[in-house]
Amino acid sequence: MEIVLAQIVNGFSLGSIYVLLVTGFNLMLLVARIIQFAYPQFVVLSMYASWAILESTNNIFLAALAALISSIILNLLSEPIFRRINNRENVDINASFVASMGLSMIIVEIMSHSINNGFPVSFPDYWGGKNLFSFGYINLGRGEFYALFGGIILVTIFFYLLYHTHYGRVFRAIAESRKTAKQVGLAVLKSSILSYLVAGILGGIIAILFSMLLGSASPWLGESVALKVLAVSITAGLGNLKGGLYVGLSLGILESLAVGFIAGSWANVIAFVLMLIVVLTKPEGLFGAAIE
Amino acid sequence: MSTTFNYFIGFSFIYILMAWAIYLPYRVRDLHFLTVATMAVTAYFSGVAAVNWGWPFYLVLISGILIGALLSYIVSFLIGDVPTFTVVIVGITFIFITKTVIENTDYLGGTMGFFAIPTVDNILLIMTGIILFISYLLFMIDHSQLGRAASVIFADKKMAYSLGIKPKRIGKLFQTISGGIAGSAGVLYAYFTGSLFPDFFSFHLVGTLMTIVFIGGYSTMWGIVFSALLLGGVPILLPSAVSSWKNLIYGVLLVSVILIKPDGLVTKKFLWKLKNKIKGM
Repeated sequence: MEIVLAQIVNGFSLGSIYVLLVTGFNLMLLVARIIQFAYPQFVVLSMYASWAILESTNNIFLAALAALISSIILNLLSEPIFRRINNRENVDINASFVASMGLSMIIVEIMSHSINNGFPVSFPDYWGGKNLFSFGYINLGRGEFYALFGGIILVTIFFYLLYHTHYGRVFRAIAESRKTAKQVGLAVLKSSILSYLVAGILGGIIAILFSMLLGSASPWLGESVALKVLAVSITAGLGNLKGGLYVGLSLGILESLAVGFIAGSWANVIAFVLMLIVVLTKPEGLFGAAIE
Repeated sequence: MSTTFNYFIGFSFIYILMAWAIYLPYRVRDLHFLTVATMAVTAYFSGVAAVNWGWPFYLVLISGILIGALLSYIVSFLIGDVPTFTVVIVGITFIFITKTVIENTDYLGGTMGFFAIPTVDNILLIMTGIILFISYLLFMIDHSQLGRAASVIFADKKMAYSLGIKPKRIGKLFQTISGGIAGSAGVLYAYFTGSLFPDFFSFHLVGTLMTIVFIGGYSTMWGIVFSALLLGGVPILLPSAVSSWKNLIYGVLLVSVILIKPDGLVTKKFLWKLKNKIKGM
């Protein structure tokens, strides 16, 4: 029983990260109308940026700032690429997916050739490795603690902003109907660029929390996370923010429980098989797609 | 022929087959990555059938094509008429499952790989025959009523329904044929390389195939031939210091093509102009 509890605690921490990632992914899908497959790669590259600063300065504030700034820059730099795709007469959402796959390939190659000779990087213990609380098998490290509570706070803030502020309402209006939003004079382009900024800030914080939780990063981490984010988004219903929250959290818990009881790489498969069953029986996702 | 040139031709042919296996379902907007999982299944089946059961090559080839087509038919039956990205995630999930099963099965060599698959005389000639047959099949599909119906589905699915076209049925048929093509690619890959490693059948292969299809052009089957030679074959001829960066080059090319020429380098319009030019000469 203690093992199950310990794995559930771990699962909540991991699930919080998935929720944040899916939220950023869905935000860009709804407002900017893109399938940003490279978003998790941006997060991983930002983790590398914080690692590089930690290696050279040992300063955690500078490292956190590096993750935040690099994520914002990467997301904003990608904006003109996707804007050009979306400005075409016949907008094809598949094109944004293919372009983001290209970006993803570029980032993986840069990380696997140029940073730390392609080897995975390890974050020092003072970054997120310290143990805060122990009870039997249950160990709550600083990484888990920050990922869990940081995730909850960030998601709460995000949903508050989305539902109770002017820009949040604009975002939701654009998500509902881009055409109508334009007709009633909403600043669609400005909001679209703003969504990249918000996704960048979110990505930077995810990079900090994820590196604290995992204690390491590798060039291939983004790829597996990107597949999970896409799978969660589709299982929940493409663009469904609330659905992403529930499914992301469930995936984290499910994966942690599977890791606790099933050997090696089978754990990942369990989650994917369950998601496969869901998408085959409910193609629009468990909570319905917010986008066609 | 030198060994390197043999590899260049062999790998180019395998990439052409696999890219065609992705091209065909994409005619109705299905990004069908199940083909990579199918290729893995039939490649390992070939290895086991040839090494452990002693089956002759042609029996393995026919069985591989049938297994690939059957697997794809069953999945297409389950998929039905789901949105594009659901098809994507179904394909990726099958890649994950197949790779994990292979990695954890000692009988298949696990992560260490499966070795000693016997060579076949004139394998490149056999590959050429299969390429010619499949190119004829795809050409006939593209220039038939079925191909025109697929073009309507690609342009506007709702319109296709209004015209009495059945996207679900055409999608299932294309996915089944694509499974057969991927099945043949798996068998040929196993016999050509003589060894199999689960890491080859991963998301990287999906990335390479996507690059080949989108750079060559997804509106005709011919651009793929050119891009498979360039992107699948040429890296084998390059020194390893350059070819190790191939994924970076693929990524840059993929983004550039989507931005500059989203239909790919060889389009229907391009072929039409080329045909007219040749006629005018």
